[in-house]
Amino acid sequence: MTKSRITGHLENRVAVVTGGCGGIGQAMCRRFHAEGAIVVAADLAPRPAAMHTDIHYFQHDVTSEQSAIDLAAFVQAEFGAAHVLVNAAGIEIEKTIEETTLDEWNKIFAINVTGTFLTSKHLLPLMRGTDVGSIINFGSYDGFIADPGLAAYCATKGAVHALTKAMACDYGPEGIRVNAICPGYVDTPMLQSFFGDSGDIETLKQEVRNVHPIRRYGTADDMANLVNWLAGDEARYATGQLWVLDGGLSAQVQQMRL
Amino acid sequence: MRLANKVALVTGGRQGIGRAMVERFVAEGAQVVTCGRGIRPQGLSENVIWKQTDVSQATEVAQLAELISREFGHLDVLVNNAGVQIEKDLVSTTDADWDLLMGVNARGTFNTIRAFMPVFSAGASVINIGSISGTTADPGLALYNASKAFVHGLTRSVAVDHGPAIRCNAICPGWIMTDMADSAFAVAKDEQAAKTDALARHAAGRFGQPTDIANMALWLASDESQFATGQLFTIDGGLTAASPLNPGLF
Repeated sequence: MTKSRITGHLENRVAVVTGGCGGIGQAMCRRFHAEGAIVVAADLAPRPAAMHTDIHYFQHDVTSEQSAIDLAAFVQAEFGAAHVLVNAAGIEIEKTIEETTLDEWNKIFAINVTGTFLTSKHLLPLMRGTDVGSIINFGSYDGFIADPGLAAYCATKGAVHALTKAMACDYGPEGIRVNAICPGYVDTPMLQSFFGDSGDIETLKQEVRNVHPIRRYGTADDMANLVNWLAGDEARYATGQLWVLDGGLSAQVQQMRL
Repeated sequence: MRLANKVALVTGGRQGIGRAMVERFVAEGAQVVTCGRGIRPQGLSENVIWKQTDVSQATEVAQLAELISREFGHLDVLVNNAGVQIEKDLVSTTDADWDLLMGVNARGTFNTIRAFMPVFSAGASVINIGSISGTTADPGLALYNASKAFVHGLTRSVAVDHGPAIRCNAICPGWIMTDMADSAFAVAKDEQAAKTDALARHAAGRFGQPTDIANMALWLASDESQFATGQLFTIDGGLTAASPLNPGLF
């Protein structure tokens, strides 16, 4: 990666990142911090040892309304307002619908969809009146087109896409923008797990890589670069959109090169 | 300086969105070349090269490519911004309208990308200006809508065929306050009522400014967007995220 020039465009903004201790989450927290923001990594997972000490940590279960209320109360008490919210907490279940149990279905919807709803619902009052509010949800290119054996995941991401537009429509007049970033194949533990179910993994990885017009997988920093742009004032006219960042994968008819 | 040492060409840089991109790119350290069918516009920054060019003419585009090759040896960023809008439905559109509009919007985009292919540096970024009208129709803009759908299709093809050597994306602006938007409103039965109605449909509560589009173009031109290719990025203040039903109905 080319080293990004840091502009400090989020100076003194309060940015809350759910799933902030995951691979992409940590990259976003690092970037927001480098841009001058006050960052809260909200995650059920514990604080990573390597996380910068200036970054705040709040243990947050996105499926619990009480936890969302507690997170909002913490942000209110410590910082008085919120300017940026990234709903990045998410899980993947690698199953068809016949293989998926009702408990699994409910769990992935609770985290990926209800989590986005609850955290947004309770942080919105802290964004109101700041005039620079920006919510960034995590959709997926899988919310547009399906990967095999990811039925419930695809459905949750489609739901996040529709919720993103609805929130943008409702809160735009108050100066709060809502967008979703839709990653393709990003080199994270989630992707490794997806490949882990397949036979000849190295050959498959190579073939999948070569289907990408850009001939590589995405990185957490690639995602953070776009989220950083959407979070700040340069994107002040961007709202209600689904921002696909997939190295060109979904620009083509499926797997013509395989 | 997010575009330091980059060489950028913005077509249609005389006014509006193109001019805003030229100024933004210069401010971020790029060497900028721009062009249009007329003479060098007043007030254009002295270190910007202006080359009078009709992008619908392949021979003129070839001369532009030759100039950039000679001056800089390569091109890092190409923005296909030159565009023409004609406020007519299909039946009232003449052959001359077709030649003008499709010549600039469609053929012009084809001409420049093809001509600059040997000049592009590794990882060069091509940014086409599509439109929300290329995906959903604006009434009375038949050829314009179709020309922008062409731009969207070509954007994906260039990304797929010529990645990873170059990246290619399109920005799809909504209603940006330029002369082009003014002439679209001018054909309304009641211009002021049309503006008020259109404004009520924008979640952002305002129309766009050329700088809103220049901001996105800057991101796509910079190294921050190295994984972005083959995409259509809409900047429309939320207009197309909502149903086209009149908000007044609710």
